[in-house]
Amino acid sequence: MISSKAIRGIADYFNLYKKIEQGIEDGKIQSEKIIKIAILSSFTTKGLKETLFVKCWGLGISSLFYIGEYNQYSQEILNKNSGLYKFDPDLIIIFIDIKTIMGEHFFLPYQISDEQRKEWVNENLKEIQSLIQKIKKGSSAKILLHNFEIPLYSPLGILENKQKFGFIESVEALNVSLRDVFKADTQVFIFNYDSFCSRIGKQKIIDYKMYYLGDMKMDLQYIPELCSEYLAYIKPLTSITKKCIVLDLDNTLWGGIIGEDGLEGIKIGPTPEGRPFLEFQKYLLSLFNRGVILTINSKNNLEDALEVFQEHPHMLLKEEHFATMKINWKDKISNMKTIAEEINIGLDSLVYIDDDKLNREMIRDSLPEVLVVDLPEDPSLYLKALMEINDFNTFQITEEDKRKGQTYVEQRKRQDIQKFATDITKYLKKLELVVTIEKPDPFNIPRISQLTQKTNQFTLTTIRYLEEEVKQFARSDNFLVVSIKVEDKFGDNGITGVAIVEKGANKWRIDTFLLSCRVIGRRVEETLLAYILEMAKKEKANILIGEFIPTKKNIPAKDFYKNNGFKLVERKDDKTEIWEYNLRKDYKFPDFIKVINR
Amino acid sequence: MVNLKEIVSCVFNIDIAKVNNELSRNNTEEWDSFNHLLLISEIEKEMKVKFTISEVEQIKTFKELREIIASKKD
Repeated sequence: MISSKAIRGIADYFNLYKKIEQGIEDGKIQSEKIIKIAILSSFTTKGLKETLFVKCWGLGISSLFYIGEYNQYSQEILNKNSGLYKFDPDLIIIFIDIKTIMGEHFFLPYQISDEQRKEWVNENLKEIQSLIQKIKKGSSAKILLHNFEIPLYSPLGILENKQKFGFIESVEALNVSLRDVFKADTQVFIFNYDSFCSRIGKQKIIDYKMYYLGDMKMDLQYIPELCSEYLAYIKPLTSITKKCIVLDLDNTLWGGIIGEDGLEGIKIGPTPEGRPFLEFQKYLLSLFNRGVILTINSKNNLEDALEVFQEHPHMLLKEEHFATMKINWKDKISNMKTIAEEINIGLDSLVYIDDDKLNREMIRDSLPEVLVVDLPEDPSLYLKALMEINDFNTFQITEEDKRKGQTYVEQRKRQDIQKFATDITKYLKKLELVVTIEKPDPFNIPRISQLTQKTNQFTLTTIRYLEEEVKQFARSDNFLVVSIKVEDKFGDNGITGVAIVEKGANKWRIDTFLLSCRVIGRRVEETLLAYILEMAKKEKANILIGEFIPTKKNIPAKDFYKNNGFKLVERKDDKTEIWEYNLRKDYKFPDFIKVINR
Repeated sequence: MVNLKEIVSCVFNIDIAKVNNELSRNNTEEWDSFNHLLLISEIEKEMKVKFTISEVEQIKTFKELREIIASKKD
């Protein structure tokens, strides 16, 4: 590429875009994940596609775009045969700017009365709602709808706030209504563009010269920032979600070095130098409460470190918040691998936070799947760096998520019995397993979708489904959707298994069969299979077909069909295996599991 | 600081050797109306200068661009 290193502006993104596109075309590079993004806007958004493409590529996602005609968004949405629907997007971004939607009223807001302004808000709200309803009929894509930038100036100046229903108030009211009407809608997300403008600075977001010359409603230079915020939605859509933070201790969780400075010497607590670490811990705790797993990877004497957690009066995070603590003198790379193994998640689910630049480089080099945060040198900026991570997003937080921290403590206790139990069946018997079989309903559908999105290990086909798609399966007579809830004497694991089965007249086919990593190895999957076999028999099918699509990660599911009485009948393109179960055969699942059919 | 030729070469994605006084909107396909604005935006950001709207409209060649920037730096 030509002098792309020379400048770091938006032009670089255009060049990188061309270069990557060429590479893909020549077959030199490729990526496993693909996302289709449609952008509908009220003005020319040149640069958005190119920048977003490059940013997605940086995450290993290849993106395809549909860019709606300039200010034709209504027509595209209303016409069932429009390019928008033919494109079949996964994500639709709708970016309508305040000047367009307000028209003349933007400059002459007080030509109309307070009442008319109220009317204006209602009309626009209704119009937007009806457009969104139309999209939902024709597409199951997630919809990212921009709200509106609240203007900085009013012709009434200091009297603006004295109006019965003022100009600025009307835009605020529209934003509030938009947020409220879509609150319960799982397909629509409001993108807080007003808040984005504030973050950049409303005086900087528009370059008036460019606005008059090229109708640019936003300064080109901020497009990369906007795209970074879109990534917060694209990551969960493509199942790129981080689950666990791995923390260093000295100069990361507290200031100073415990081994040298001692318990009294380290900085944590209500002093100017201690507060950055305290607030950093507070935010970590709030992430823990939303379901992010916390762990430690530190080179230290275990006793020294534990003393801080147990004795220091200002330590907010305690041992009980960490799923595992690797505090030892082993190298950080093998500690990192052990952490992933112990909590049973992939290395690509980890975020590593360490103040030491060399450690960060080492992890980045040897474990590129791990997201390494570039912690600023000054601890007063740690909190900001932590808040800016947008990799923990999911489209819903289920009850299972909120309990996750607790779940790992229970898991540790189970592992303790496992150490004493000599054989696995004895151990499983001691667990007093209860499996509840559930049909899909509005409460478990978000979790079912989430499991298809997040499960990588015990999954036979690794097909990802959005909530809307699961709903369609659940409504259809041709599909059986079933989930299982797993409890034992230590606690409730929640919904941790899912199957989606296509019903044919004679042959049924397992489309999706998965188990959350939390319950792998307890033979609960056999109760799920038994239920499917029973239903298939009841509806007079003869054969149950199962497919196994191997990936890098689903080795735990590899022998599931083999071990459960299926026969291998075909191997497609050296990869996908097709297995069959003859329904005349009897099937037995372990008798130590109690099954409840709901 | 990045020099003007480098910025022009990057924005138009052309070899830096081709960036000379003769380069103009008439003889350079890459110098279209969008790239013109992109160029102005990048120069303003990198070289800490500001153009007026009329200057942006007037600039047709690399020579003119250089001269206007030089006059601002005096």
